[in-house]
This record gives sequence, structure tokens and C-alpha cells, in this order.
Amino acid sequence: MSTSNYIITVTAADRVGIVHAVTGAIRDLGGNILELSQTVMRGFFTIIVAVEFPSEPAQSVLAETIRERGRAFDLTVAVIPARSAESPIPAATGDRFILTVLGADHVGNIHGISGCLAARGVNIVDLHARADGSRFSLVMEAFLPPELSPLTVREDLERFGKGLGLEAFVQHENIFLATTEPSPVRVGPALHTRGGDAVVPH
Amino acid sequence: MYRTEDVLATLGMIRQYKLDVRTVTMGIDLHPCAASDLDTLRTRLRDRILRFAGRLRAVCLEVEERYGIPIVNRRIAVSPIASIAAGLPSEGYLKVAETLDQVAEEVGVDLVGGFSALVQKGWTASDRKLIASLPVVLSTTKRVCASVNIGTTAAGINMDAAQALGHVLKETAERTRSHDGFGCAKLVVFANAPTDNPFMAGAFHGAGEPDCVINIGVSGPGVVKAAIEDLIAHAPPNSVSLGEIAEEIKSTAFRVTRVGELIGREVAARLGVAFGIVDLSLAPTPQVGDSVGEILQAMGVARIGAPGSTAALALLNDAVKKGGSFASSSVGGLSGAFVAVSEDAALAKAVEDGDLTLSKLEAMTAVCSVGLDMIAVPGDTDPETLAAILADEIAIGVINHKTTAVRIIPVPGKKAGDRAVFGGLFGEMVILPIHAAGGSTAFVRHGGRIPAPLSSLRN
Repeated sequence: MSTSNYIITVTAADRVGIVHAVTGAIRDLGGNILELSQTVMRGFFTIIVAVEFPSEPAQSVLAETIRERGRAFDLTVAVIPARSAESPIPAATGDRFILTVLGADHVGNIHGISGCLAARGVNIVDLHARADGSRFSLVMEAFLPPELSPLTVREDLERFGKGLGLEAFVQHENIFLATTEPSPVRVGPALHTRGGDAVVPH
Repeated sequence: MYRTEDVLATLGMIRQYKLDVRTVTMGIDLHPCAASDLDTLRTRLRDRILRFAGRLRAVCLEVEERYGIPIVNRRIAVSPIASIAAGLPSEGYLKVAETLDQVAEEVGVDLVGGFSALVQKGWTASDRKLIASLPVVLSTTKRVCASVNIGTTAAGINMDAAQALGHVLKETAERTRSHDGFGCAKLVVFANAPTDNPFMAGAFHGAGEPDCVINIGVSGPGVVKAAIEDLIAHAPPNSVSLGEIAEEIKSTAFRVTRVGELIGREVAARLGVAFGIVDLSLAPTPQVGDSVGEILQAMGVARIGAPGSTAALALLNDAVKKGGSFASSSVGGLSGAFVAVSEDAALAKAVEDGDLTLSKLEAMTAVCSVGLDMIAVPGDTDPETLAAILADEIAIGVINHKTTAVRIIPVPGKKAGDRAVFGGLFGEMVILPIHAAGGSTAFVRHGGRIPAPLSSLRN
């Protein structure tokens, strides 16, 4: 049986009941949720869902059904077909590092930081940044190509941040696994799924 | 995704509190090198150490770069040389020490431990020759560290050895007179010496260990001190209990231990040798902020040596062990807080201020590791008094089923109140007076062995 996969994103001012409404619409259309991530940022709810449908509902029907089910929340909905067979997820290579940048908030901080990383082939898989007043902090997870030294990345970032009052740190994820998880200490690259998510041993 | 707060907490330890790995110490079994011919033995020693430790420095640098965690010291601990050199003539022991000194320099380690003898129950001819060679060895080599285990709970205390070591200390100090008797800083006298201790000067590769092993000494006291200060600074005034301080130390020790084990396992894996243990000991350096004494001050003991100092140290030592032993099943070595006086700026200051005395230090060592460590005493202290100080401290270990040790320096030509300067990691301190020195000469001169203690009726 052929199936259809979609990536659905929904955004709205945060209220109780949005997840219930969105997943209800998906269920009513026969969708099976493969993966879901939801967060609230500065009062705004955002959810991203990977869904598999047994048939191929029209994108517009899918979006409209979700909007209708959640009309009390004034949802902004986007639906994108995800044809995994045609565009396979690239396998993660290299080790995963945690990059932290701290310092003064400036317009273009994240653009400049990500530019340094893109130039070295560093693949960002997770990122959270925040400005509290004039204070900027960024924590990201990224794969460094095997031949790239973390020192080189740090030097690039420090060069970028020098005039901006930014400090950069590049640490192997094993440091954080070791200090935050009670599971046995492990050396070598961490276990990962194809999509690059860490499998934290428990 | 890691929680940003967790990432920043760990990063804070590395960045602000100088989280590091204090030592990566490679233990090497030298028994396959034994030979009655001196040249053969020296060649075998050199070849075997080079085979195992030739890449130690390079691998430590690789791991430092990979993880961004500094490895402060790289060291080697070898099998007790008294058992390796048995059969050599007396002059051979110095030659063996010189070989160790040279090969240590060649592989890029700052100290090599294991010029050692285990004599708790009695001593062999080789043990006696090694002990007799100590003044020359410690005054003419740069990197060689020595230790002698003179007591165990199972065997009691070898008082003949204590007496001999009193004379060794005097002669070693005299031979290094121009450096305030510094040679004695490289000699540790033990009770219940651990076989896997990574810290110098007392490290050796003991019986029951594999051919080669990597042992780790974790980060210093600065991280713990900063954690306590943070806890108190972010709480309402007078609201932090000692139980909460103990919990904070425990969770800090957990993180520190995990980093130590990670680095140790990575170094061992890259070298293709066994990973041994993480030693939880908080080892101070003379740098301000890297002091066990400052931890006690952060806990509220403003004057170290004041009543309460022993209780505070007991809390610290126990909490570190609890956090560390939850973090790793491979905890070993000494694993306690060191009160190395000249190496610890706050303890040295407390001595200078007259707050911390030899007697109080002795009491404090009953609840922590490792013992009377880096203590400068007057140069005219007689050998029997030095032997009696050794015996007192060793008795604390023997009776309490724990490791204790003594590193004491009778500083030639100087008296109580003068300053002794050892330099570098060994620091400096004002010389401590010994009360009633010479008052136990007859006791020491009885010699023989103090019998092993009873293991029941433990009150």
C-alpha cells in the first residue's frame, strides 16, 4: 500500500488545547504521527509534525481541516509534502559537538555564526538562541566533519566575535552526556539515528 | 537537545572554575625487566617504558583538543623498584633511578613514581639498599619520586623502617640544603598505600595491577569552592544548611568525576591499554582559588585550624566520595581531600597566622586523605623525632583502616617561623614548630614492629 508523508507546522499564540485540536484533525484524516516537536517561545506556540497518511489528501484539505478544528486558536498552518524516497536524509558524519556562544546581543549574530560554520561544512542539527536585554546566548548541536578540528571552529567563531564581545566554546557532546546523564561513561562518537538525533543511553 | 541550563552549568565549570584533569598517570609493571645484570636491567626498563608511554604525551594532547579539557600533568608510576632491582649491588639503585629520570624526560612526563619499597612487616636486603640510596637519589635526580610503606592494618608498623627513614629525611634535606631540603618533598612514607594512586609523590604500580593502566586524578579544589560560593551567593542570607552544602559538593563531585573518567577512558582506548581508576582526591596547587583551605573558608571556617575545621573537612571528604562513587564504578587511589600545606595557599597562610598547628593537622588527617603532607619543620629536628612523627601519622591510618602518609621536610639551617620555599607546584610555607621535640627518643629506639591492631571491639 502506498502512503503519503507530510510535514505540518502550526503556529499560534499559546493557549491550552492546541495540541489536542491539531492531532485530532490529523487523526480524523487517518494520519499516523511519526514524529512531533513542540515548543513555546515568548508566548507563541509552535509545533512541527511528521505525519504518514494511508492515502494522499490534498494539501489544502489537510491545512483547512486543521485550521477549522483549531479555529478558536487562530492557527497559522503550513503543510509540505515529504517524499522521503526521493530526497533521502543525508547520513550524519563526524562527531557531534555542542557549540556555545555568549556575549553581547547584536543584529546579525546568528547569521555570522552560522556563516562561519557553513564555510567549514559544519551541519547544525539543533539550535537555541536567546537575547535577554543586551545579553546574547546561543547553544547548538552540530556535526563537525571528521577532519575538522574543534579548535579551528572555535578560532573561526572567536575571530567573528572578537569585535562584537562574543565568546565561543566548542565541546564534544560526550562531555555533556557524561556530566548530565547517570548512564555509564562512553568514549568515541555517540550513537545517532540517521536524522542526527542522539540516542542517549539509559 | 541538551537543556541550555545543563550546557551552561558544565561550561561554567570549565570556563570560570577551571575544570581540568589534574593528572593522567600511566602505571607500568616492570617485573618483566628484572635482571641481575645492571646494564640489561636498565636497557629493559627504558625499552618497556618507551613502549607503553612513548605516545602518552601526544595522545593526551589529542584528547585535550578533542574535549577542550586541560590535562595539567602527565606522569608515570612503575612497580616498586625494590622488587625490580633485587640482586643489584647498592650502587645499582642510583643507576636505576637515573634511568627512570632520563626516560621520564624522554617521554615528556614531569614526575615518575615507584622508587618504592613495601616494608610494613619486614624488609628485604633490596628494601634496605633502596632506602639507603634515597638521599643520593632524591638529591641528584629531577623527576624520580619515592615512597615507603611502613604500616598496614594487617601487619602493624615497622618501627625499624620508621627510624631509618628519620635518618634518610635528615640526610636528604642536608644534601638539598640550597633548596630548603626539597629532596624530602619527593619522598612519601605510607600506611596502607594504595596500589593505583595517580598522585605524586606517592604513586607506584602495585601488585594485582595489569601490565599497563591509565589512572586519573580529577580536577582540583577550585571547582568545589566555586560551587559552594555560588550556592551561598544565590540563596537568602543565612539560609543554606550544611546538608545543602554537602549536596552541592556531591553533585559537583559527580560532574568532575565523570569528566575524569571520560578523559581517562579515551586516553586508555587510544593507547590500547587498560583504564584503571579515577582518584577523587582534591589536590591543591599554590594558586589562589585552587585550595582545600579555601573550600573550608567558603563553608564558613574563616580561620583554618579553628575548632570546626575537622568537622568541615569530614563533611567535604565524605560528600566528594559520595558524589564520585555514584558517578563511577572505577573509583580508587587515595580519593579524599589533600591537606598539603605548602602546596595550598590558604593552609600555608593559616600556618603563618598561627591558626594551624601540627597537632591540629594531625587531627584533620584522621578524616581525610592523605596525611601530614608537605610540612616544613625546623632543620635541627632530630631523626628520632621525625621517626616519631611518621609513627604517629601511620598509626592513625593503621588503626582506622585507611591510607595515611607523611611528606615532611626538616629545612636545614632554618627554625620555626622562618620561611621555606620549594617553588612551583610545591609552594612555600612558614616552618611549623614541633612541640616537645626529642621527648620520645627512647620509644622510637625500641625499634621492632608495633603489632597489627585488633579488628573487633571497634569503639
